[in-house]
This record gives sequence, C-alpha cells and structure tokens, in this order.
Amino acid sequence: MRLTDRRFAFFLMLPATVFLAVFVAWPLVQFVSDSFFDISKFAGGPRTFVGLDNYIDAFTSGDFGNAAWRTIVYTVIVVVFEFVLGLTVALIFTALGNSSRVFRTIFLYPLMIAPIVAGLLWRFLLIDNFGIVNQLLTDAHILQDPGQIQWLSDPNIALFSVAIPDIWLTTSFISLVLFAGLQNIPGDVIEAARLDGARYSTILFRIIIPLLRPVIAVALILRGIDAARAFDVILIQTNGGPQQSTETMSLLVYRTMVRFGDPGLASAMGTVYLVAMLAVSVAAILLIWRPGSENNR
Amino acid sequence: MNGLETTRVSSRAILWVALVLLVVLYGFPFLYMLFTSFKTPLETIAVPPTVLPSTWTIENYTSAIGRDGVVASFINSVVTAVLSTAISLVLALPAAYAVTRFRTRFGRFFIVGALVMRMVPPIVIGVPMIGIFRSLGISDTSLALAIAHATISLPLSIWLMSSFFEAVPEELEEAAKIDGASRLGALWRVVLPVTAGGIAVTAIFAFLASWNEFLFALLLTATRSQTTPIVIANFQTQFGLDWGAMTALAVLYSVPVILLALVLQRHIVAGLTAGAVKG
Repeated sequence: MRLTDRRFAFFLMLPATVFLAVFVAWPLVQFVSDSFFDISKFAGGPRTFVGLDNYIDAFTSGDFGNAAWRTIVYTVIVVVFEFVLGLTVALIFTALGNSSRVFRTIFLYPLMIAPIVAGLLWRFLLIDNFGIVNQLLTDAHILQDPGQIQWLSDPNIALFSVAIPDIWLTTSFISLVLFAGLQNIPGDVIEAARLDGARYSTILFRIIIPLLRPVIAVALILRGIDAARAFDVILIQTNGGPQQSTETMSLLVYRTMVRFGDPGLASAMGTVYLVAMLAVSVAAILLIWRPGSENNR
Repeated sequence: MNGLETTRVSSRAILWVALVLLVVLYGFPFLYMLFTSFKTPLETIAVPPTVLPSTWTIENYTSAIGRDGVVASFINSVVTAVLSTAISLVLALPAAYAVTRFRTRFGRFFIVGALVMRMVPPIVIGVPMIGIFRSLGISDTSLALAIAHATISLPLSIWLMSSFFEAVPEELEEAAKIDGASRLGALWRVVLPVTAGGIAVTAIFAFLASWNEFLFALLLTATRSQTTPIVIANFQTQFGLDWGAMTALAVLYSVPVILLALVLQRHIVAGLTAGAVKG
C-alpha cells in the first residue's frame, strides 16, 4: 500500500517532532508546573502545591522587577548599537563594491568566537587597574588617569559595559545580513533619486531603509531575542554585580535556582520571563516584520 | 554594480580610511588577547599594561595545556559538537524537506513551532533536563550534552534547510519519479546531493552552536563530560586570576573555528543570510 503525500510528510517530520517534544516541550511543561510548588532544594525532597504563591513572591520582590527592567535596557542597548554600527558598515561595504571583499571576510571572525571567550576578553580589557582600554584612553589624553572610568565596577555604567562584548561579537551578523539585503535594492531606483537631486540622507531614510525594512526586521528580531536571553557574556564579566546592577532575567533565574536553591520561585520567575519573551517576539514579528505588507513609505 | 556603489575617487579614499580604522578597532581586542597569551605571567598583569610582549614565551600555552582536564575537555568539546551536529542533521533534513515540499497543515504548525522554540530562554529548559537525563541514565555524558545542544541547533537547522530546499526545482524530483524512483529515493538520490552546499552550511552552524555553548554545559556536565568553555570559565575561581593561561586557552579554543571560517567563508555568509534575505 502506498502512503498519501500527507502521511509521508508526517512520517518525515515525526522524528524531529518527537525529539522536540521530549527534550523541549516536556522540560517546558515541567518547568511551568514547578512554578506552582514549593520545592525543597534537595533532590527528592518534599514538594507542596502552593498555587500562585511563587508568582506573588516574584512580583512583590524588588529583584524581579529590576531584573526585568535591566533585561529590557540591555536588549535595547545591544540592538540599537548593533543596528547603527551594522548599517554603517554595510553601507560602506556597498559603496566600495567588490573591493571590500577582504574586509567582509574579516568581519566574519567575531561570529566564530565563543561568547564566554568574548566576555572574558573584554573583562580583561576593561579591568580597573591594568586594563588596556583605559590605558590607551589615558595615553590619548581622553582620560586623566586610568582609574577614572570603572567600567565593570561602577554600578551606574556596568550594564552598558557588559553589553560591549555582545555588540562586538554580533554587529558583524547585522552588517553581513544588511549588506546582502542592500545588494537586492534595484540600482535604477537610487540612480533616479540621485538624478532628481536627492541628498544621501534623503536616499537613506526615504529609499534604502524602507526597502530594507523586512531584512532589518528579521535581523533585529533575531538579535533582540538573543540579547534578551544573554547569560554567559554577563555571568563571566560581572556575575550580575556590582550590587546586582547587571543581573538580567537569565541570571536572576539561574541564581534563584542554583545559588539560593528555590526552584519553585525560580520557575515562577522563569515562566513569566518565558511568556513575556514569546509575547514580545510574536508581537514584534507581527508588527514589524509584516511579511508582504506594502503600505510603508 | 549596485546603484549605491560610489566611483568618486575622493569619497572612496575617505571610505577606505574609515573602514580600515573600523577594522583595526574591531580586530584590536582579539590581537591583544593573542599578544597577551605570549607574555610572561607577570607581564600580563603589569601596570601600566603593554600591548606587545617584551619577551615572547609559550609558557602560558604549556601551563594551560598541562592543567588537569584541559586536554580531556577539548576532546569532550569535539565529541559533543560532532554528535549534536549529527543528531540535528539527521532529524532536520527529512523534516525540513517535508515542510517545504508538501505544505501540509501539520507542516505549517511544525515550522512555526520550530521558530517559537528559538525564543525559549535556555535556562528554562536546562534545569528540567538534568532530571530527564538522570532518569535516562546518561547524566554527565557527552551524549546528554549533545542532545541538549541539538535542542538549540535543530530549530535553526530546520529553518536553514527549508530555505535551501525551497530553491530546488520540483521538476527535478518529478523527473526522478518518472524514472521510477520512490519519494524517499528521490529525496536521497536527487534532492540531497543537489543541496549538499546547504547541508554543509547547516552543519557548520550546528557545530558552532554546540562548540560555543555555555549554559547547558554548565548545568549538565560535571567532571566527566566538561567542555572547554566551562574549563575556561573555571580558571578564574580555581586557580586565582591566571589571565595568561586563560588567554592562551581561549586562543587555542578559537583557532579551530577561525580556520573553519577561513576555509568555508563563502558558505557561512550564505547561511547567515539565507533565513533573513529572500528577495
């Protein structure tokens, strides 16, 4: 007997479906259900149903709201810097045409490096007493002495500093994706605008960015999701400190779970985090991406 | 030539200068790490810091490699990355093919599901995984970590492979079927060979996802299956702050993937842009 196409397709998808169900969906269900229990920190310890108590604890603790806010700030910093830098580089690449090829290759390398290595490296570069960045800034007479900016130990700027390696690592992704998108912009449109006497800024904001919109949206959404989940880069640089000033949601859930040994509370926090991530991403995809929409000029 | 390319000599000169400056700024951190790894341990923490080593030495490399567990962690990293790439490809290839070729309702549900899984913070599924792997009897093994890494790379692989399969003309399979091939035969003998380039791209990304991953490795491995990122991170607590050995190990860990990038650069750009840029 011959299978229908629909059955055949189903069987081809079955192994991946089972795998994702067992190793992603099932852990997710467990995690969410843990959020309704008070769980002992010892494996096999008592487990009591407490309803929404963990959620109430999460929302009434200052840590949770602060971590949520920091996650948003961190994500916005990363995405804005990467977009501005990435677009600039992509436009330079495009303006130089084929001769920029070697540089495009160089821009690939940061994407290969482990976030943990990047975080460590920048911690070393920005370290207070023997960091090279402050030394070079002092040599260039931008700073009076190398101790003037305490990148990672000043709670007011640490959240910005920990974002630097993330920006350093993945701006290339935005550049390369936008560069590829720029190649698809029809040359005659630009040519026509130029003949009409349009300035470069007009061409950029009225033609290039609107035409690139779908590509920009995909790139920014993907990077935004990754930035909002950032963990290793921050952990290795500051471990959430100083004074929790870099403790984002991932770190808070991790610390509540592993350090403070409160799986129930950690699960409630993580569940809210998860739902927020899904809601924001889906909203972003529907609002910004808008596949096939033409009404934006 | 693109309408955005500039031909004026003066503007090209300015742009070249800007680009070179950018690349120097961009490359400096990595070069500094490389230089630091060749300094003496004392010079790595000298005040004020130096850019180039005053005496070049491989002391940091020998001390990093000589440490307990470093070589074993490298082997673990390779084994885990290869295993998880294999798992991911074996599962993703048929699934992505089915999604693009047959367009069933389940297929649409499946591809949206794969996209949603990309948004799940790893910390959320990492902890329950500890229990799952314990009950499967594979705690602290490379297989368990490879499975965990495949939860990251599988959705990505499905997504990438769908865009590569979409580019294969359907007539190709029709022709194979007329020649008497079964659907499975057409997939195996006609479609997969044509998309070999895309499969390579997908494999690179799956490999990199595992090679550079940290959180699952932190949660799911103890001494036996520890990968190198964990060892690098542990340097700071276990042995004090040995920046020299740490940078040496970081360089060693980055060199294989940088060589990979050098050889396969064209494919990597294709993969990066495959999902995002479609006309």
